[in-house]
Amino acid sequence: MKRRGLKLFATAGILLTLALAGCGNKEVEKTEKVSAQPKEEQILTVYSAGPDGLAANIQQAFEEKTGIKVEMFQGTTGKILSRLEAEKNNPVADVVVLASVASMDGLKETSQLQSYQDAKQAEKINSDWSDAEGYYYGYSASALGIAYNTKNTQEVPTDWSDLAKEQWQNKINIPDPSLSGSAVDFLYGYALAEKNAWKTMGLWKNNGLQVNGANKEALDAVITGDKNATIAGVDYMAYKAKADGEPVEIMYPKSGTVVSPRAVGILKDAKHIEAAKEYVDFLLSDEGQKLVTDAYLLPGNKEIPVKNRAALDEVPQLTVNWKGAEADQLEILTKFNDMFR
Amino acid sequence: MIMEGRLTFGFLLTIVVTFAIAPLIAILGYTFLKDGQFDISQINRMLEAERVWRTLGNSMLLGVLVIVGTTIIAFPMALIRTKTSLYRYDWLDIILTIPFMTPPYIGSMGWILFMQHNGFLQQLFPSSAWLTKTFFSLFGMVMIMSLHLFPFLCLMLKNTLLRINGSFLDAALIFGRSPWRNWTKIVLPLVVSSYVLGSLLIFIKTLAEFGTPATFGSRIGFQVFTTEIHTYLSRWPVDISMATSLSLFLLSVCLVIWYIQNLIGRKHTYGVLSGKTPAMREVRDKWYIKLGSWMFVGVVLLLSIGIPYFSIVVTSLQKVRGNGLQAGNFSFASYQEMFTGGSAGLSAFLNSVMFSVITAVVTAIIGLCIALYIKKGETKKQQVLDFFSLMPTIVPGIVFVVGLIMFWNAPWLPATIYNTKTMVVVTYCILFLPYSVQYTKSSLSQIDSSIFQSAAIFGRSKWDVYRQIIIPLLMQGILAGMMMTFIISMRELVAGLLILPPSVETGATFIYSQFEQGNVGVGMAVAVITVVMTVIFMFLLGWLQKRGGHENA
Repeated sequence: MKRRGLKLFATAGILLTLALAGCGNKEVEKTEKVSAQPKEEQILTVYSAGPDGLAANIQQAFEEKTGIKVEMFQGTTGKILSRLEAEKNNPVADVVVLASVASMDGLKETSQLQSYQDAKQAEKINSDWSDAEGYYYGYSASALGIAYNTKNTQEVPTDWSDLAKEQWQNKINIPDPSLSGSAVDFLYGYALAEKNAWKTMGLWKNNGLQVNGANKEALDAVITGDKNATIAGVDYMAYKAKADGEPVEIMYPKSGTVVSPRAVGILKDAKHIEAAKEYVDFLLSDEGQKLVTDAYLLPGNKEIPVKNRAALDEVPQLTVNWKGAEADQLEILTKFNDMFR
Repeated sequence: MIMEGRLTFGFLLTIVVTFAIAPLIAILGYTFLKDGQFDISQINRMLEAERVWRTLGNSMLLGVLVIVGTTIIAFPMALIRTKTSLYRYDWLDIILTIPFMTPPYIGSMGWILFMQHNGFLQQLFPSSAWLTKTFFSLFGMVMIMSLHLFPFLCLMLKNTLLRINGSFLDAALIFGRSPWRNWTKIVLPLVVSSYVLGSLLIFIKTLAEFGTPATFGSRIGFQVFTTEIHTYLSRWPVDISMATSLSLFLLSVCLVIWYIQNLIGRKHTYGVLSGKTPAMREVRDKWYIKLGSWMFVGVVLLLSIGIPYFSIVVTSLQKVRGNGLQAGNFSFASYQEMFTGGSAGLSAFLNSVMFSVITAVVTAIIGLCIALYIKKGETKKQQVLDFFSLMPTIVPGIVFVVGLIMFWNAPWLPATIYNTKTMVVVTYCILFLPYSVQYTKSSLSQIDSSIFQSAAIFGRSKWDVYRQIIIPLLMQGILAGMMMTFIISMRELVAGLLILPPSVETGATFIYSQFEQGNVGVGMAVAVITVVMTVIFMFLLGWLQKRGGHENA
């Protein structure tokens, strides 16, 4: 009696598995067929940590120009990296766009990227932000500054250490570096270039610095007046909010700040390599670079003029070397988390 | 009958096991197996981490405090709804379930926007600034979660009190000495058992909750299990084995609590359903009781619905958020943006609707089959199936989601549904199957067995009996279950955050991501539309249940 039950159970199990496998196989066949078809039927999967609007505009312009359909996953740099990690067994993404070159370099070091050396216009792109062997290109960047609420701020800060002063008590926040690639970049660059960096961070902590979610969440706290200033706020978001009429302004501390490049690369397991190359070409093209500046980002190609924002040479910069930075960044992130959580 | 026999059992059990149990086994495997060898180093690593114990402490503390919080709100409310003249207002029941149906992360975002420094409260009453600091603490979190969960406990207590109102109190009045003694000796003991059951369920629900800890908890630096698991899975650097170990830990805690609850349930359940219908006497209150009751109801409604909804609606209408509550600072721009053809918000919302409808239909069909098989759960097999199909109510959603990711990413699977929309629907179906099983079961229990017998005697085919008699009779329960599944699916957040394929967003993840990187106004417009739809569905649900005459379903 019992055995018969078991047998039936097993049979049913096998049947169901087969049925499932059947469905799955169909799916696989479909994707194979797709890649065999002409270009206009192709699908490219992009994981992009980008400003919403920019990613969508690029997607639209790219689709119109090339006829390649783009499947887009948007998230923070942290989310994308973790998604790539979780999907190691069955990779889906072709192109990855991250808001942190150090993480991109990490992907290269663990051989998750492939080189695309002869990308069009590659020579025009800022070489500090890109890989010499063509594994990734810094197609844009944002400068990190202090975003402050113009209604609630009487005295505009001039340097990072100003925010340790009493009038800023409980009025400052910073985007969570484990979510925001640019915030990690800031911590890394600041801690490396500035002797007193950790001491200043300690002072911020004592001054009630709040770790406030991803970039927009931190900036929103300033916009609504919950906080008065965001440390390491991404400037393009502040410029955008300002253009929308919000009482927000961004300043770059005189002792220098970090310019955080955003890079694009093709994954090693990419299934649609030709389409992926076209996507990279598009980001580096004048048309793509114009879209970048429309979103208030710094273009990778210096020849493209920016509007309504500070150009790259107007931003006082700390010297930061991004190559091989990932391990150090992880260390700094851990130290930061131990300090603030 | 059709839903009988071994084959059916095997088939149904296979469905349930493949989809609901395999993910849990995958978690076990991932945690304990390393290169095919049994290995407990993962668990050790987890238990050694100081953070884990702090998280456990936080989760437990939160659970206990939320029980206290919900009790403070639900107990008086249940009394008011049964013992005072307010018992007449049935619409209060529907209004009171709105907080429970509101997606928790939206509710807490509303509260944050209202209470924060320079938030709506301070803009309305600048002198109330001192409240902000008090609110952004564990106290505020417990309050938000209690206001979200109290309807659940309230309904349970109310139903028990209603039943006791019948013959028990009559008997007590006849034989008893004083009303006070009647209360302590009869009513309280009967209420206590249902209170304990309810509060343990609240405890499990609190442990499983993700939305409020993710929004409010992260703000005050209060980490619980669900947010820790999510952190390990979705933040850089990723630690998947830590996430699975934590999931296993959380699962064990919930199973233990569920077991305790079962023990209590078995020992202390009294038959309170007697032949006599709970006849309602005309209640005449003294003026101060009436006033007090209305004030209590008013305050609870203000806190649980008024404030969060005020913030949500205002935010969705604001032109310049930095200008606050000012005349001329309002427009429908966010709604316009949302309804402009093909906007991300609208397509996310429509995705949610699509996923929820499919989930409602699929779970209704599977749930019907399972309920018909289980009947009253008399045989061992029926009980086994009953247990497995209700598993997802005990297992926190995030644990299932982690398991599903592990299972469908297993290297040995010949094909996977991971990164497809199917995966989303499968996840929703597993998470919400218990609703349809329970609704269908309870409406099945109201069909008298004589109907089956007479149908058998009058010799129609089995299929006809189902098609023309049983299914139509069950229809109300099935529809109610479908509607409930739909409402709950519409607000699901954590599954969406972790498993949605590229280019697909749901309303919930859209709202959440607007806070992270995008436009809060549009996010809140989507929230308003979602909630309006939910409330309409709830009134439909209430109407449906009233028509069916089983409000307790």
